Amino acid sequence: MKSTRGQKVAWGFLILLSVAALLAPWLPIADFRLMNADARLQPPQWTAAPVLGTDAEGRDLLARVLWGARISLAVGFFGTLVAMLIGIPYGALAGFLGGRWDRIQMRFADALESIPMVVFVLFLLSILQEYRADLAVIGFGRLQLFFLAVGVLFWLPTARVARAEALRLRKQPFVQAAIAGGMKRSAILWRHILPNMLPALRVMLLLTVPRVILMEAFLSFLGLGVEPPAVSWGGLANDGLAAMNPLVDSIWLMLVPSIALGLTLLALQKVANSADD
Amino acid sequence: MRIVRRLCAWIFGILMVHLLAFLMMRTTRGGPFDSARALDPIVQRALEQRYGLDQPLLVQYGHALSGLIRGDFGPSLRYRDTQVSTLLADALPISLILGGGALLIALLIGIPAGLYCARRARSFDGKFLHAGGALLLALPNFVLAGLLLAIFSFQLGWLPPAGLGGVRNFLLPWLCLGLPLSAQILLLVRSKAKQALCSDSVRHATAEGLPPRIIVRRYVLRPSLGPVIAFLGPASAAILTGSLVIEKVFALPGLGTFFVQAALSRDYTLALGVTVVYTALLGLCTLLADLLMARMDPRLEAVS
Repeated sequence: MKSTRGQKVAWGFLILLSVAALLAPWLPIADFRLMNADARLQPPQWTAAPVLGTDAEGRDLLARVLWGARISLAVGFFGTLVAMLIGIPYGALAGFLGGRWDRIQMRFADALESIPMVVFVLFLLSILQEYRADLAVIGFGRLQLFFLAVGVLFWLPTARVARAEALRLRKQPFVQAAIAGGMKRSAILWRHILPNMLPALRVMLLLTVPRVILMEAFLSFLGLGVEPPAVSWGGLANDGLAAMNPLVDSIWLMLVPSIALGLTLLALQKVANSADD
Repeated sequence: MRIVRRLCAWIFGILMVHLLAFLMMRTTRGGPFDSARALDPIVQRALEQRYGLDQPLLVQYGHALSGLIRGDFGPSLRYRDTQVSTLLADALPISLILGGGALLIALLIGIPAGLYCARRARSFDGKFLHAGGALLLALPNFVLAGLLLAIFSFQLGWLPPAGLGGVRNFLLPWLCLGLPLSAQILLLVRSKAKQALCSDSVRHATAEGLPPRIIVRRYVLRPSLGPVIAFLGPASAAILTGSLVIEKVFALPGLGTFFVQAALSRDYTLALGVTVVYTALLGLCTLLADLLMARMDPRLEAVS
């Protein structure tokens, strides 16, 4: 597979960003939680100390964006992982078993599709607020709940792709041979179907990550995202929107995290396209 | 026959959603009358009795179900002395105007832009539009709202930033909700139209000397509309999700605003009402989109 220059740049950007996000605690940047009443709403200096400016509490925006990258990327990655873990077995089973099973499973999927799932997830998240103390005991914070919620929201498209792939593979000679040879069905699924679905699923993965990151921004906006002091890009952009008013110029508070978010999603799109060809 | 079956499925879906939402809300620990200060047990009991929260779950469900059939969701738990159906009746038109307008904008911008992009795929403006569409899809709804607000309301002062008034108040919300969708439609139309432009029929029509306007309308636009109609179902879901955000940004008292408030303040009855209305709307939209698609392409009907 030959990638174009644009795709190389996209990969480079994503890798650089991930490394910076991973290393954020050790980078020479200000503390992202440190408030400074003397340095409120300083516009970006680009070369001098608050490189990307400060927010309404005087916190360094560069540090906040880098720490936000940790959460946003983690949500994108793990949320997608959960969606895949639900969607792949569901779809692979439907496609491989076929017949009545397939029909029932797909009917169910169709029914789910015509339900406003987002409404349900919002419900669920707000209801689970009640049980926060109990969930914290078993190691479930807001972030983990979030992974689950996102997985529930986004597994359907993955399941459809997995089903289509399983249907296609089932007709292939090597799978037919395995069936004729009396290989166990679970073994066929594991040894022949799953590994051969990976290329299609890779595209699906790369397409789902941006949607999950956007969903995090959406939930942050509604006040159901990560909780302070933790920051995410969606939450930061929302803070920027909240700080916006006609009298004080503070547009960079919204622009900086939004640009980070936009660039990342564009890079992911670019990479997904390259995997698609 | 097909329509009847789909309608039955629609009603069944609404009932299931109603039951699920009902169970989810009634089985949680927190009640709607929790507050920082503990209520007197007698007051608490009186409140629960007033709203029927002290009866067995099955009886409560029976009441809710008969209410659903009559279109009556009982009194709101937070808005004093107000029926949920009254709130819904006030909010629904606003949400419908917002969503319908956004869909219209998405189609009116997305389809021509997609055709234009496909015809000029190799030149600068086509690429520019394509990249712009991709960028729109990479930004959350509320960021677009913030940008448009900053430009049109704060800098230029052309449009009101929030509230309910005339058509002017709806312009920005329509754009914020419609533009990302139009970007999606642009991408769909573009890829299909690019294929169609290379087809034999287009080459033949060009050779015959048909004017480009007619060629595009007859041989490029028609095949490109298929994916757009298939997208109408997911698009209505996206509008629904987006309206939660946009209504909040622009302070429009629509269903989304009420739903978020209700979910956060545990106003059971109101949240249930909005959920049912949302489900009914979304189901109706996907139903219509499917029927339209079958009408356009009879092969689909034969399959299902």
